[in-house]
Amino acid sequence: MRQIFILVILFLLMAANGLVFTGEKKVEAKQVTLLFWTHEDPNRTPLEEGYIKEFQKKYPNVTIKRVTYPSRKIQEKILTAFAVRKGPDIFNMEINDEYQYIVNARVAPIDPEAAGYQNKQAIYDDYLAGTLDATTYKGDLYGLPLELTNWCLFLNKKYFREAGLDPEKDYPKTWEEMLEVAEKITIREGEIIKRRAFDFRYPYYLISWLPMVQQLGGSFLSEDGKRCAINSEAGMRVLRYMAEWGPNGRNFGSPTYRNARKTFNKDDGSVAMCLSGLYQIARIEAQNPAFYESKQWSVVSFPRFADAVSDNGCNYYGHFYLVNAEKPDYERKTAWSLIAYMLKDPEEYMAKVGLIQPKKSLLVSEVYKNYPYADVFIEDMAKSSPVMLHKNAPKLQELIKEAVESVMLAGMDSKEALERLERKTNEILGE
Amino acid sequence: MRHIFFTHSIGKYKAIWGWIFVIPALLYFALFSFYPIVNAFYTSTLQQDILSLEPPKFIGLKHYIYLFHSEDFWKSAEATAVFTLGCFIPLVTVSLILAILIHSRGRRFQNFLQMAYFSPAVLSTVVAAVVWLMVFDPRGLANQWLNFVANTPGVNHKWLALSGMARLSTIIVYFWKYVGYFTIIYFAGLANIPGVYYEAAKIDGASSWAQFWHISFPLLKPTTILVSIMAMIQCMRTFSTQYLFTQSGVPTGPINVITLNIYNTAIRDHYIGRASAMSIVLFSIILIFSWFQLKVSKTEKVSYV
Repeated sequence: MRQIFILVILFLLMAANGLVFTGEKKVEAKQVTLLFWTHEDPNRTPLEEGYIKEFQKKYPNVTIKRVTYPSRKIQEKILTAFAVRKGPDIFNMEINDEYQYIVNARVAPIDPEAAGYQNKQAIYDDYLAGTLDATTYKGDLYGLPLELTNWCLFLNKKYFREAGLDPEKDYPKTWEEMLEVAEKITIREGEIIKRRAFDFRYPYYLISWLPMVQQLGGSFLSEDGKRCAINSEAGMRVLRYMAEWGPNGRNFGSPTYRNARKTFNKDDGSVAMCLSGLYQIARIEAQNPAFYESKQWSVVSFPRFADAVSDNGCNYYGHFYLVNAEKPDYERKTAWSLIAYMLKDPEEYMAKVGLIQPKKSLLVSEVYKNYPYADVFIEDMAKSSPVMLHKNAPKLQELIKEAVESVMLAGMDSKEALERLERKTNEILGE
Repeated sequence: MRHIFFTHSIGKYKAIWGWIFVIPALLYFALFSFYPIVNAFYTSTLQQDILSLEPPKFIGLKHYIYLFHSEDFWKSAEATAVFTLGCFIPLVTVSLILAILIHSRGRRFQNFLQMAYFSPAVLSTVVAAVVWLMVFDPRGLANQWLNFVANTPGVNHKWLALSGMARLSTIIVYFWKYVGYFTIIYFAGLANIPGVYYEAAKIDGASSWAQFWHISFPLLKPTTILVSIMAMIQCMRTFSTQYLFTQSGVPTGPINVITLNIYNTAIRDHYIGRASAMSIVLFSIILIFSWFQLKVSKTEKVSYV
C-alpha cells in the first residue's frame, strides 16, 4: 500500500513536471525566440524567410528573428555582441572569422539528433569528404555549411571583342597572359583608367593572393605554423607582380578603384574581368537581367602562373552556421533543428542563389549538372586548398594588405616589404 | 544672531537646490564618462582576449611599456599629430574669417550663409565620406578640377593612393564637415560684442582691420579658446573618416590615427587590454594639451568696460 502511495505521488509529481505522456508536448509548447544573424544577400533573403515561415508554422512555439548585416560589418556586430555575452543564437560568417569562436568555445558542438541525423558520422557521410574539416575541432563538429565558395574569373565578352580579342580563346589562362590581355583591354585617359581589364579583390588576401604564392611553391607560414615563410622567391615574385599591376607600374588597377566585382554586373564599360564565386551569376541575373540574358559573360578558371609548381586555384572558404554555446540546451536544439531545416534542400539554394552547399546529393542532382559554369567552379575547387585558419587570421591578412599596398602604392621595394611582413608576422606568432 | 541664522538658512537652501540641479549632470558624467575612463584604465592592466571566457590576467603596466616600444603605435601617434595640425589650424583660422564675413553681411544673407556653412556638420559622417570618396576617385571631380586648374589633362593625382594625398584627403573631408560648425560658434561670439565699440572706433576713424585687431580679436578670446580646445579635441578623436576610407581601399598606414588603431586592436585583433591602454594614452594626451591651451591663454575673463 505504501509502495502504491509512493508510486502515485511520484506519478503526480512527474505529470506536474510534464515528464509523463506529455513530455515532448511540454518541450514543444515552451516558447522559444531565436535570434539569427547573417550577412546581406538579396537573393538568399526570400528563400530563408520562406523556410523560417514554414518552420514557425510547424513549431508555433518558435519565433525566429532574422537580422542581416553587410558582409564586412557583421564580424564587428557579432564580436561586440559576444564580448558582452549577448550573442545571437545562430550566426554565420566566413570560416576564417568564425574560427576564433570555435577555439574560444563560444559556440556549441552540433547536436546530431536535433539536426535530424542519427549520429555525428551520419553528418560527415552526408557531405563531401573534407568539407566539414574547417569546423571540426578537437574531435567535435561545430558548424554546417551554408555555402562553400571559391572564386573564378568572370569575363565580359563584349570588351574582349572591342579590344580585338576572342573571348573563347584569348582569355588569360596564366597571370603572365593576364598582363598582356590587360594591356590590350585597358582604356586610359592619360594616367586615369577609364576601363580596367581586371582587378583583384584587394581586402581578401588570404583567399585570392596567397594562392598565387602557393602556385609558385611558396607559403605564408612554415609547416608547423610557428614561423612566417613568405620571405621567399615565390613571395617576392607575387609582390613584384602586384607592383607591376599597380599605378606605379603598368597601371592596370589599384585598391582605390571601385570594387571590380560589383562594377562588373553593371556592364557599364568600366571593367572587363573580375574574380567572384558562383553566387555572382544569380546576382547578375537579379541586378542586370539584360546583361544576364545577353550571354555576353562567361566564367573561366582562376589563372595560374606559367611556371606554377602547384595547380591550385583560389583558396575556398565557407560560411558555416554556428550556434551560441551560452544559450540553454533547449534553444540550442531548436537552433540546430532550424539550421537543418534551412539546409534540407541544397538544390534550391543552388538554383535560386547560386550557393554550393557541399552535400553529396547536390553533385548528382540535375540542378548542379545544368547550372551554368558550376563544373568550372567545382573542378577548380577540387584542385585548391581551404583558406588558412588561424586565431590571428584577420591581423595576418592586414599585414599582407600593408605589404601589397606598400609596393603597389607607396613604391616600396618588394624585398623590404617582404622583410617587414615577415618580421611583423613573426611578432604576432610570437605573442 | 537672527540675521546670521537667516543667511545660513538661505545659503543652505540655495545649496540644496544647487545640488538638486547639479546631481543629474554629475550622475550622467559619472556613469557615461568617469566610469568608462576608470574601467578602461583597469582593463588596460589586464591581458585579455575579447572573445575568451577565461579570466583575464593582471599584467600591470606592461601594455603601456609595449606601446612605448611599438613602432605601430608611434606611427599612429604621428598620423594623429599630422591630422590634428593639418586640420586644427585651418579650422580655427578659416572659421574665424568666415564668421567675420558673415557678420559683415546683412541679416538676410547672414541667415542663409550660416545655414549653408553649417549644413555639412549635420550630414552623417558616412554619407560625407562616401560623397568624398567619389570626388577623390581617379575618375572623380578632384582630378578633373585640379587638372583643369593646373592645365594637366589626364594626370592622376592619386588622392587616395599616395601617403601624403591620403592624409590631405582626410583633412579636407574633416575640414569641410566641421568648418561651418566652428564658424557658427565664432559668429555667436562676434554677435555678443556690443556695437558701441565699433561705433566709437568708426568715429575715431579706425579702419576695418584696426577694428578687427583691436576690438573683435581681443574680445573673441574666450570664444577662440573654446573653439581651439574643441577643434583640437575633435581632431585628435577623429575616427569615422579614416575608418570609412580604409574600408574603401585607402592604405591604412598614413591615416592610421590612434582611434583607428584602438578600434583595430580591439575589434580585429581582440586585444582589449592593449586597446584600452591606447585609449588611456590618447585621453592623457588630450588632457595635457587642453590644460596647456588653458594655461597659455591665462584667463578666460573678458570685459567690455
